[in-house]
Formats: sequence, structure tokens, C-alpha cells
Amino acid sequence: MYETKVYKIFFEQFVYMTQQAPPNSGGKVSRRDFLKLMAAAGTIMTFAPFVDWGKFLPNPAANVSERAKVQLPDGSQANVKTFQVNHSEAIIYPRSEEDETLNKESFRTWQFIRLPEELGGKKNDASAFRVYSMVCLHLWCLWKYWPEDGRKRGECPCHGSMYDPLTGMAFAGPASLQSPPSNVLPVLDLEVDNDGNIWIKPPNWSVNGNGIVGFGRFIT
Amino acid sequence: MVVSLHRENSLVKFFRWVYAGVDRTIFMGLKFTFPARFVSPLGFLGMLTFVIFIILGITGALLMLWYEPILDRAWDSVQNINDTIPYGFHIRNIHYHASNAMVMVAILHMYYQYFSGRYKIRNEILWVTGVILGVLTILEAFTGYDIIFSERAELAISIAASLTNSIPILGPQMRDAFFGSGFHDFVLRFYAFHVFFLPIALLGLMVVHFPRFLVFDVPMVMAVTGAIMLTGGVFPVDMGLKFDPSVPPGITVPEWYLTGLYAFLRTQFDKFVTGVAWPGLFIFALLVIPFVDKYKKFSWKDRPLITAVGITSLAQIIVTTYWGFYINPDRTKSLLERLVIDPIFFYLVMLLLVPLSFGFTYMMIKLAKNAEANAKLQPKKAGGKTAINLPKKWIYILFVVLLAFQVYLNISAYYAVLNGMKNYSLFIIGIIMLVFAGMFHIYRHGSAMAKAPPPKQTTFPSPAKPVPIPSPKPAPSIPKPTNEPLPAPPIQKSSGTQVATQTSQKTTTTTTTPASTSVLSNSKTDNTQNVVAEKSATELPKK
Repeated sequence: MYETKVYKIFFEQFVYMTQQAPPNSGGKVSRRDFLKLMAAAGTIMTFAPFVDWGKFLPNPAANVSERAKVQLPDGSQANVKTFQVNHSEAIIYPRSEEDETLNKESFRTWQFIRLPEELGGKKNDASAFRVYSMVCLHLWCLWKYWPEDGRKRGECPCHGSMYDPLTGMAFAGPASLQSPPSNVLPVLDLEVDNDGNIWIKPPNWSVNGNGIVGFGRFIT
Repeated sequence: MVVSLHRENSLVKFFRWVYAGVDRTIFMGLKFTFPARFVSPLGFLGMLTFVIFIILGITGALLMLWYEPILDRAWDSVQNINDTIPYGFHIRNIHYHASNAMVMVAILHMYYQYFSGRYKIRNEILWVTGVILGVLTILEAFTGYDIIFSERAELAISIAASLTNSIPILGPQMRDAFFGSGFHDFVLRFYAFHVFFLPIALLGLMVVHFPRFLVFDVPMVMAVTGAIMLTGGVFPVDMGLKFDPSVPPGITVPEWYLTGLYAFLRTQFDKFVTGVAWPGLFIFALLVIPFVDKYKKFSWKDRPLITAVGITSLAQIIVTTYWGFYINPDRTKSLLERLVIDPIFFYLVMLLLVPLSFGFTYMMIKLAKNAEANAKLQPKKAGGKTAINLPKKWIYILFVVLLAFQVYLNISAYYAVLNGMKNYSLFIIGIIMLVFAGMFHIYRHGSAMAKAPPPKQTTFPSPAKPVPIPSPKPAPSIPKPTNEPLPAPPIQKSSGTQVATQTSQKTTTTTTTPASTSVLSNSKTDNTQNVVAEKSATELPKK
């Protein structure tokens, strides 16, 4: 067979190369092999810069380096003093100022929730608030928070996945059956300034950080 | 027409010049055959797939003039094409139904090659590239119906992206790289894949996949085109609902070629296993089939194990495809309850289909072999083929009738468009294509009859004295015995007999068609060798 011949040649070449250096040459590489090595190194060096060009593919728009306002649908910034307990709003993050189309994007919609009283929603600091990606981890419908008594949870209208507002973890429905990290919603970290205005801290889009929208997050 | 062709006018010269130029390109290896009579389309389903691909390319290019791949405008632009652009409805429907036809014909093509064992004659590269082409075709069709960005499209994109995401280790990076982040990027990139990346990959693979001998059967091509238009007229594709993130989507089912996969997803089992690993395994199994198939014979009857595996795959595809479509109609139940397929039941059925298909296959093989053995015992029927032989006059009459029908259909199609009955006009244009297919067939039948050698003699004359074939007209036909020895005949393994010494006798008639010159052997031993000689004569170099 042709293949076995090829293997044989390769094997012999290998044996030849390993046994090549005569004992008195002190393990020197032959001139031809050295040339081949140089050519290979040159080729690698020539095409190495293009590896980084892979960054052309993902969209960098999601990377935000500064803190951003929590802007409510009416245009005002959310404030701990005015935002109701056990209430939620859909917010857009990151918000594009120049292109309104991008703000219609479900991947940029987040559910801004002030927790109910029993979960610590009365406190006037960041711990009373949660921001979760509205993209359901199952099949990417948009879920929302239901404040009614007996519900007080995030529910997806498509296949009935339910999310715990305290942690963002799915506890019922198909999303809860998915293995981690795909059972916990991505989250945004908040901070409150002296006036009570709420800001979103620059996120770290990774499963161990704020999570990946539509994929999930490891609970830390 | 014939006269002008023979007179070598400048146009003919130009064509010859172009043809001579093409002979120096990569196309010189390709040989097109335009069959002169009806041949089974099973043998050239691949060519039909390619023709539909070209139809898709043309209609798709036209749609590109109006479609806008932008999040909040995609659906509206499709609506614009469908409702306001003249003939936009036609182009869109042809594009949609041709995509379905392409997937369907490609699947048929694959299974025909599979069961007839033809990948043994060609080589494994053709089979492997064919399977990849099939996968890319489905991806092409899938990205196509996604960029309408209706409710169903959004769900389909979601499933595609979340399946990519579910791939271990590299999944999220792959999703970011291929799809970008968010639906704005998804629509734009699916569009880029749909109109450029995938078609270019398809074309590149086709260059490798094309065998050198191609059959271009005009009536069949026109019939398929007509069928696509006809279907578009009867079942015009709808727009779906525009996607609105604030409105929860209703139940949607993907296109028929993906409902099988959808059925697997609906078992609510792990996304990666059901949505990526199972289809991947299926594709891998298809890829390795020619390397596993060690049978020496081609026929499905002689390769029981491979045939059984093929039948199993078909059975599973049919069952899952139907199952994917089926949703419990009981509206009192919750959406989840209606959608979820019990995995234990589902996988048990899949397993049960294996012994059932194997049993069915072995039974069919046994029956077929019995029938074959019985047929051998029976005396052979004389004649065999019964061709419809229309007299020349009736061919002309039929032609005129069909032409008149074409005129009538043209007028109706035009008036249908004027009156806004778009689907009716598309339907009629489909019929026009079918009528053309019929007309072309009659034309080629008629011209074959005009050229045809006289009816074959079923009993050969006494071998000692070769008789010239009588020509249809009582023309002065002078047999010219040339008595030159043939070159070594091609080896005929099937006959086993040695065709050693043969002399050919050319019998020229006055008609100039090549079909009328036939070579007969005057072998004194066996009449059956005539057939062999006749076969080999076509392969002889011209002297």
C-alpha cells in the first residue's frame, strides 16, 4: 500500500534524523535541517500577526470601560429614594446614543428589579437592586419579573422557565434543567452615589464574572 | 435551421472559436450530454440539484436588490418585496420553493447514490464532498428563512446561536466570532453567510464534486422549474409575524428539513447532546459509509447490511420529521406540556425502528431475489420496451396545439398579474414551463424519429451473408464492405467469450446522420457477439 510506504519513509527519515548527529559533532544539527528550521520559523513569524486579527470577528460594542447610568424608560436615572420596592423596569445596556436601532436589541435589554421587602428591598443601597439579562437562558425569549403576591419571580412566556430574583438562578422549567453555567442569568453590578443615583459598573463579560448574555454565569 | 448550421456562417464560426477556447480551460474535462430520449432522472438528480442552485442564485441576486439586513427593517423590506415590488411575490416564492426543492432533490440524490452503491464506481471524494454539500445546503436554506426576521426566524436564530453556545469550551467564543453579539449582528451576519460565505463554499465544493460526464435533460429541468413555480402558486409562502421582543412568541415549527432535529430538541434533553452531538454523529456516519462498505457488488440486494442501515436512517428521519411537526392540539394544556416530547418514549421508538428496518430490508431483499429467480425461469419477452410511436402528422398537430395553449397561458398569466392575482399568475407560469417540457420532449422525439435508424431486426439474418440495413426511404443504398481488421476490442468481462477476429462491414446509407452508420460483425460462430461488436464499435477510433 502507498500509505504504508509513506509511513515507512517518514519513519526512516525520523530514525535517520534522530541518529543523524555523529558522536563527535556534539549534537550539531545538519546544515540542511537548520535551513528547514529557519524557513519554518520565518513562515510562522510572517503569519503570526494575523492570529490577532481574529478580533475582527466579535463585536466590541458591548465592552464599556466607564460606569453608566441606569436609565429608566422615561429617560430619568434610577434613584434609590424614588424607585418603588418590589417593582421592575426594562432597561437598555449598553445604550447606543447614535443608533436607536441597536437599542431595540433583545441582547441589550435588562430587567432592573428592586427586590420585595422580604428579600431586603427596603434598604437604600445597591443590595436592594438587581439587574439581570432579560434573554431567557433556554431559547432566548424575553422573560420579565412578576411582582404579584405568590409569584415574585421572573417568568419566561415561551416555555415557562422561572428565575429567582435574589440570585438569578432558574428554579423551574427547561432553563433550570440546563447544566451550569446555563442555569443562572447574567447580572450587572451596581453602585449608588451620594445623591442616591444608581450606576452600572463596567462589566466583565465572562462566565466567572458578570456572565455571557444568552449563555449564563457561574454563581460565585 | 439545418442549412444555416451546415453553411458555417460567422455565428457558427464564432461559437466554434469560443468552444475551442473553452477547450483549454478547466471545463475541457466536462462532457455534457443532452439525452435524445427520455432517461430516468434518478441518474442525474445531482445535475438537477445544481440547476435549482442556479435558479436560487438568480432569484436570490434579484432579492438582494430590495432586501435590507437590518434588525428593524428586515421584515418590512421582505413585506415590501412581497406586496409592492412588481413580480417581487413571484421572485420570492420561486426562491423559497426552490430552496425546499434543492434540499429535497439533494436528499433524494444522496439516497439514490447510497442504495445503488454508485460511490463505488466514482470515488470516496465525491461522496464526502457530497455529504458536506448537503449539510451546507441545509445551512444555506436555514440562514435564508432566518433573515426574514419574523417571529419564527427569531426563534430559529436563537436556537442556532444557543446551540453554538452550548459547544463545550469554545462554544461562547465561536458564537461571538460567527454571530457577533445580539440580534442586530445575527441578522447581518446570517445574511452575509447566506449570500456569500455559504454559496462560495458550495461552489468551491461543487468543482470537486462534479463528475466529468454530466447529463443536462432540458425537459426534466423545465419540469422541475415548472413544479417549483406551480407549488409557489398553490402554496404561496406567508410573511409570518414581525418579531417583537415584548410579545411572547406562539408555537412555531422550523422548516421541514429541520423538524427532525427539532423533535430531538423538544425532548428537553441536554442542548449540546441533542442539538449538536446527534446530528454530528449522523453526518459522521454518512461520511464514513463508503469506507465501511466492503461489499464487492453494487446492488442494494447484494449489500444487505448497508441497505438496512440506509433504511433505518430513512425510517428515523421520516418519523422524527413528522414528530417535530406534531404538537398536542389540546389548548388547555400549558405550552411546555404541549411541546415537550417524553425522551424515554422518543428514544425507545428510535431504537425500535432499528430492528423493524432491518427486518423490513431483509424481507425485501429476499422477495426481490425470489422475484429475480422467477423472472429468470420465465421465457424472455420479445421487444421489451413499448414506445409510443406517434405518426409525424400527429406530432405536428400536437405541437401546434401546445403552441396555441402556450399563447393562451401567456395571456392569462399577464391578465392575472394585472388583476393582482399574483399566485394564480405564478401557477400559470409554472404550467407554461411544464408545457415547454412537454413540447421539448415531443421535439426531441420527433427529431430522433427523423434521424432514427430503421426499426431493429429482432432476428439476425444468416451470419454468412451480411445484409445491409434497409433505410426508411427506398434510397440507393450500396453496402461497402471494407474488410479492415478492427483494433483490439475492449475487454468484455461479462460475456467471457473472446472476440478475436472480427471484420467490420460498414453499411452506409444516403442519410448523413451518424446513427444510420452501424457496424456489424460477420463473425461466423456466434450471433450474440454481434451485440458485443456493436457496443465496441462506438468506441473505435475513426479511420
